Amino acid sequence: MTRVVLVPGVLALLPEYAGLVDPVADLRAACLSAVAWLGTGPVTVIADPQGARVARALLEACGGIETGLRPSSTTATASYLVVGNGSACRSEKAPGHLDERAAAYDDGLRAGLASSDVKGLDLGLGKSLLASLDAIARLPEVLPVGTPAQVDYDDDPFGVQYWVMRWQA
Amino acid sequence: MTLQLGRHTFDDQATLMMAIVNRTPDSFYDQGATWAEDRALERVALVVSQGAEIVDIGGIKAAPGVEISAAEEMSRVVDFVARVRAAYPSLVISVDTWRASVAAAVCAVGADVINDAWGGADPELVDAAAEGGAAVICTHTGGVTPRTRPYRIEYDDVVAAAIADTVAYAERAVAAGVPRESVVIDPAHDFGKNTFHSLEVTRRLGEMVDTGYPVLVSLSNKDFVGETLDLPVGERLVGTLAATAVCALAGARIYRVHEVVETRQVVDMVSSIAGRRPPRRAIRGLQ
Repeated sequence: MTRVVLVPGVLALLPEYAGLVDPVADLRAACLSAVAWLGTGPVTVIADPQGARVARALLEACGGIETGLRPSSTTATASYLVVGNGSACRSEKAPGHLDERAAAYDDGLRAGLASSDVKGLDLGLGKSLLASLDAIARLPEVLPVGTPAQVDYDDDPFGVQYWVMRWQA
Repeated sequence: MTLQLGRHTFDDQATLMMAIVNRTPDSFYDQGATWAEDRALERVALVVSQGAEIVDIGGIKAAPGVEISAAEEMSRVVDFVARVRAAYPSLVISVDTWRASVAAAVCAVGADVINDAWGGADPELVDAAAEGGAAVICTHTGGVTPRTRPYRIEYDDVVAAAIADTVAYAERAVAAGVPRESVVIDPAHDFGKNTFHSLEVTRRLGEMVDTGYPVLVSLSNKDFVGETLDLPVGERLVGTLAATAVCALAGARIYRVHEVVETRQVVDMVSSIAGRRPPRRAIRGLQ
């Protein structure tokens, strides 16, 4: 059995950037719930270096174990934590300012993720919209195309599109 | 270190706003604005709503003037302390007095702190605080008589003198039975000091912090600010806040103030710059 969770690489999730008030409390709760669902066995992180820090922080908060890229063949469940998110250009206040193409791009990405079919992604446009796609583009390596997603979080509180999703195959 | 102010406990990094509440007809800043008891209670309500953790209730202005007997001082503060205690159970109540008899009377009706702005002029004050379960603010005045202005006072080293006197006073309080965590020291800007002295004490406040005793600063709208900027009472807030920032960076813990909101913002901002307090809510660049 394979379990895969997607979380966004939000640096505000890191303990070193904690304020007195959590600006991403709902997102954090959704992330922790999904990561906990991966179980207490080894979890393979698929992320760029910055995203990997977020993944480690979430795993540590859940008491989980991070492994290298190869899942252990001795465990019955292969668990993956994928770090990525949609565009960062969805509003005037967004990190990349408003880009009229962002909403449609994220709609397409959302639809692809919902059925774990991301092979047709326009990575070039995604890059210009500041989407974090490196890890998302590798979903087909660990998940059969067509696996339906459970969507735990879908919002853009700072003009950045975040999803927390989980797949089981 | 942990602060125990009467019935209230605060952790190691906590900074506290002590709002001045005058039960006097003639204090320099408010000129009797809260002389009427109901006006003083309104002032308490206001500063509590602004987030002050402590009120410092005083019945005698610091400057020279008509002599106020202990009986008169008690009539101004004791019943008032009792009313504030009843209305605000979680508020720290400090009383600004140098008299042991007044200290005993206010402790009996719920005062948490005795703010001895005159540096131990009444030797029995620490006993009254110890018996009353109150914390003590130990100030440095250079040995002057209460309600006198400094006149040609000089020090070899004003900071060394402030440390020696306040620590000696603090040790006297501990010996009298006041818990170590309930003893606070205060260099007492303007008290027994000219403006140069108060500026030096501000500049070197870290040396007082290094004693290990929590440090209180009382800077609000004082003459050393006014003389430094050549500004009258009423135009000293910015200068007060600049001095506040310097003291906050050095690690002062309690700020005796007229303006709670402005001082709290300065102290929080500086505490965060110093790495002692996280930002309230940080998301910029971290989305």
